[in-house]
Amino acid sequence: MSATSATTARRALLPSGARPFVSSLFAIVAAFVVGGVFLALRGKDPLAAYGLLFTRGLGTGYGVTETLIHLAPLLIMSAGLLLALRAGIWNIGVDGQLLVGALFAGVAGSAIAGSVPAPVMWLVAALAGMLGGLLWAVVPAILRVKYGLNEIITTLMMNYVALNVTSWLVKGPVKDPDVVPPQTRLIPKEMRLPDIPGTEIHIGLLVGLVAVLVVAVIFRYTVLGFQLDVLGRNRFAAIHAGLPVGKLTAFALLASGAFAGLAGANDILGVKGLFQGNWSPAYGFAAFAMVYLARLNSLWILPFAYFFSFLAIGGEMMARPLEIPTYFTEVLEGLMLVFFAVAVYFERKFAPADRSPDAMEAEGMPSAAITAEPIVTPELPVPTGERR
Amino acid sequence: MNARFSTTGGMTGILPRLAPEGSGGGGASSRPPVVEMRHIRKQFGPVVANDNVNLTLREGEVHALLGENGAGKTTLMSILSGMYQPDGGEILLDGQPVRIGSPAEALSRGIGAVYQHFTLVPNMSVIENVALGAGSNVVLDMDAAERDLQAQLGEFGLNVSPRSKVSDLSIGQRQRVEIVKVLSRGTRVLLLDEPTSVLTPVEVEGLLDLIRQLKARGVAVVIVTHKLDEALAVSDRVTVLRGGRKVAELGPDQIAAGTRADAKRRVVEAMFGGGAGAGEAAVPEGGGHAAGPVLLALHEVRADGNLGAEAVRGITLELRAGEIFGIAGVDGNGQKELGEVIAGQRHVRSGSVSLDGKEITNSGVAKASALGIGYVTDERLHEGCVQSATVADNSVLKAIRRAPFSNGWWLNRKAIDAHARALIQQFDVRTPGPDVRIGLLSGGNIQKLLMARELAGNPRVLVCNKPTHGLDLKTARFVAETLRRHADAGNAVLLISSELDEIFDISDRIGVMYNGDLAAVFPRGAADAETIGQIMLAGRAGAEARA
Amino acid sequence: MNAAFVTAMLSAALVAAVPLLLASLGEATAEKAGLLNLGIEGMMLSGCFFGFLAAYQTGSSTIGVLAGVLAGLLLGLLFGFLSISLQVDQTLVGIAITILGAGVTAFLYRDIFGRQNPSAGVDAHLVNIPLVESIPVIGPAISGKPLLFYIAWLLVPAFAFMLNRTRFGLNVRAVGEYPFAADAAGVSVYRTRYAAIMIGGAMAGLAGAFLAVIDLQLFQVGMTVGLGFIGLAIAMVGGWNPWRIAITAIMFGLLRSLGNGLQILGVDVRTEFITMLPYIGIMVALVLLAGRTALPSALGVPYARGRR
Repeated sequence: MSATSATTARRALLPSGARPFVSSLFAIVAAFVVGGVFLALRGKDPLAAYGLLFTRGLGTGYGVTETLIHLAPLLIMSAGLLLALRAGIWNIGVDGQLLVGALFAGVAGSAIAGSVPAPVMWLVAALAGMLGGLLWAVVPAILRVKYGLNEIITTLMMNYVALNVTSWLVKGPVKDPDVVPPQTRLIPKEMRLPDIPGTEIHIGLLVGLVAVLVVAVIFRYTVLGFQLDVLGRNRFAAIHAGLPVGKLTAFALLASGAFAGLAGANDILGVKGLFQGNWSPAYGFAAFAMVYLARLNSLWILPFAYFFSFLAIGGEMMARPLEIPTYFTEVLEGLMLVFFAVAVYFERKFAPADRSPDAMEAEGMPSAAITAEPIVTPELPVPTGERR
Repeated sequence: MNARFSTTGGMTGILPRLAPEGSGGGGASSRPPVVEMRHIRKQFGPVVANDNVNLTLREGEVHALLGENGAGKTTLMSILSGMYQPDGGEILLDGQPVRIGSPAEALSRGIGAVYQHFTLVPNMSVIENVALGAGSNVVLDMDAAERDLQAQLGEFGLNVSPRSKVSDLSIGQRQRVEIVKVLSRGTRVLLLDEPTSVLTPVEVEGLLDLIRQLKARGVAVVIVTHKLDEALAVSDRVTVLRGGRKVAELGPDQIAAGTRADAKRRVVEAMFGGGAGAGEAAVPEGGGHAAGPVLLALHEVRADGNLGAEAVRGITLELRAGEIFGIAGVDGNGQKELGEVIAGQRHVRSGSVSLDGKEITNSGVAKASALGIGYVTDERLHEGCVQSATVADNSVLKAIRRAPFSNGWWLNRKAIDAHARALIQQFDVRTPGPDVRIGLLSGGNIQKLLMARELAGNPRVLVCNKPTHGLDLKTARFVAETLRRHADAGNAVLLISSELDEIFDISDRIGVMYNGDLAAVFPRGAADAETIGQIMLAGRAGAEARA
Repeated sequence: MNAAFVTAMLSAALVAAVPLLLASLGEATAEKAGLLNLGIEGMMLSGCFFGFLAAYQTGSSTIGVLAGVLAGLLLGLLFGFLSISLQVDQTLVGIAITILGAGVTAFLYRDIFGRQNPSAGVDAHLVNIPLVESIPVIGPAISGKPLLFYIAWLLVPAFAFMLNRTRFGLNVRAVGEYPFAADAAGVSVYRTRYAAIMIGGAMAGLAGAFLAVIDLQLFQVGMTVGLGFIGLAIAMVGGWNPWRIAITAIMFGLLRSLGNGLQILGVDVRTEFITMLPYIGIMVALVLLAGRTALPSALGVPYARGRR
């Protein structure tokens, strides 16, 4: 929200500014309109629904607090997802990585809770969570780098495997033997993450902010981020420039796995205190839609994540009085992504274009670049405003 | 008399029948030409690819369209085949003005094209490829179609089963399949884009025979080529393009057998320009060319191309400090792969590459670049730059892990920015600033930046592939002078190009690549455009035939 | 007992294979035409829900199945519009449609049915095949299944014929492999791709309808649990060949129904291990076949003729 002032002054030609977010805004508004029609068709009053959504979600202290608590894992997860997507890696398996990370954190945390100072326990549990998420990304990473197997399907499949593996573990090997339901041992409330002074929001939110900042710093200030960006924008240029493409690919997958795992740990340490079987958080698709609406720009994640978190919480809060199933949030997310695709088309149509293959030919580009290997102007990822 | 092949005669409905031989051709000069292209103009952004070009095609006449790469031949043919729309001028078919909106429309009007990159689907059978897009029946009767096609294939000297997969055929066979495919659609104007560039000498003879056969059937044939001998051997008429303009047209009497040598000289002059190799280069030759120590040595280097076939076939080459070594050759003869081998971007299968006496074979781009090898690719947009990234970022793409741009971990944005500004200034890159997306710059300015990027590392050896291609004259001159200066400073430059002007301008030695091999090497004084052109087109055999 | 077990396993596997088979046949057509349809999960889920809804409302399984097909087809059309006409990245479009499908179906189901989980309670039109049913062991596994079951398996030769023997199939293959060639030969790349993705969507919808209307006769939120994605992968593992897809689908049907079989045998294995077998199996299959299956060259690449 603070980045706008710094970027608006820039000239139209420059690769930054708030301009790209017009598309995101369009997508959001269009999704709300169509979603409203959808509600109306179901005999509900969309204006009342949206009114309630905004007044309760934004206008009440409870709504804001819940939104900020929900925001923490979303921020951490999106930061990792952004890292992968910027490098051109489709890590659709963040949900599975989050689950495994949460389980690891729940087990490690409850195992040492009480025997070490709480901060040490947090650190161990957080590291365990990151390790879990990272481990869950190892298989797709190996398959991608060693066997050239596209990560989309493998990460998707690993999601379902994660659901089953964690569900089995929590019913058997790591189950709390003293209770009936399948869950890990409870980390007592007093040992969980404390609230930020003066609020009822646990300090996991700060971890989320730090995670986003870390990723922003990586992309803005480090060689690593620079290389990931090159890889994501033009793989051939990365090869031509001699970048370690395999290592970068593996890093992007593993790091985003670790971030997802940390998000899981955050939920355990901050809110839940234990890992329950058949828990399906499904942050992944929301994070995915959100990172795209933020145009793969790390700092822009902050407002968009808040918005998405607000949607989730507000959606829950309007659900009861108006009898609108909470899944309405998911409908909106899907619609946003669909309209975002439409917006990207118009943006490309009216933006100052890169040269077309025709012009390349006329400029003496090898014809092979035109016919044998069709050049697809890399429309995505389209990071903006990250550089200056 | 109608030269058009029947499109409805096929028994199966899949394959139209060809009209019998002798049904067309022969002195129908009173009728309008089959195709007349008048004052065709086509512009891509600032670049004029075709400027006021006229072309007339007659029934039963073979017309050669000659010119260097980028002379506008392909664009002209793409306009006739419906791929592009002209910005100006008109096309007349049988005297009637027409608009050819798409390749399909061109086909339906009897204009068929055989491109350099064949439009055959490799993993489909011959018969499927021929049937593609022809006819409207829902179910394909493959057996009947096979019988039909078998006969046609035989007629064109193709002894392959219609059921064989295209990917299993030789290049020459594929080309014939492509021709049969186009003819089976009722084509009476056949465009052949660089038809011989991919063929072996024997196959070339076969193709020329085939063209004569088609001529006898009354088909108007256009051969787009820069291979002179073949063009003259079979054509009735020659049009030469240069820089998008028509610079010469020779009629049947001018290229008759008796006057062929004269015709050849005129065409070469028109194609390459009179000045090439005449020693009037504006850039001074290097002082001590070829006198310095050996910087780069290649020994019996072999490497595969992208498609798996061997592209570099045992090349041995030494580059000395202070010299520019020009490599001439028609595209696709292994020059690009040679450049990539030196840059570390392509795997060497056997042989060795050494820099300053130290072996660097297969050490990868990062190491080669750190050791002092620069490489300016010809694929500027595809791999040379990241179009969506800024000029500044692109200026340090290869050096980002080195000081002063980073300490290995943290970027030094100030240094990067200052570096980009310096390059922009030194090389006169036209950009609003270093933080503009490079994809928004013109091709020439991108090229200048890529050149600047490599030179900034002060490489001992600089490989440049087509560094002035598509640039305006002033920029091209600037690039050439820069390369010369770099060599004079005690470095070696390998200049790869298919444009002889560019090579002659600044090279100290000139090598010619043909079919993956270094077919000949000349000191600059001993080379002339015609000899080199011949070797480019036919290898060493071409030169010996001349001698 | 042994024969009965084989019969039961085979019977369960063949039924469990049907949704995979149907989704996969459609996906093979789309992929052959150059479209990687990651929206398949959302299309299948929509087929489940709208099929179930229509069947529940009308009491007719036929209407239910048709509604499921229509839902998938419409989402296929949306996929086509975004990825073919607007040339937006197929992965992004696919994920958008999957999210949308999941959201809309879950929302509507909860909104319409509240906390209830009713059964569709429709006639699945079971068919007994006179001679076949008396074949020992195999007969009972094949006979006595719903009509759509047989239609599904008959679609295997139908798709094989369509892809290999018809002009449309020829166009599909050319458009996915080398759109430039198809365009040069006068085949409309856009129209062919639209047709292919609509078939892909309709088949995904049909797969969902079989699952929700015929097989289970109920709907659950997110009930496809990745079956669409597995169908997508089966199309690749089966090399886009309907016969090999059928065999692969049966193998994965076997994996899906293994749990029941082991229960019959009295083997005590955690259900989670059984449930996750198909997901692991598909990765293994992809690894084994990686490099041997040549993806359609133009898969995922939008086509625009070189023209301004």
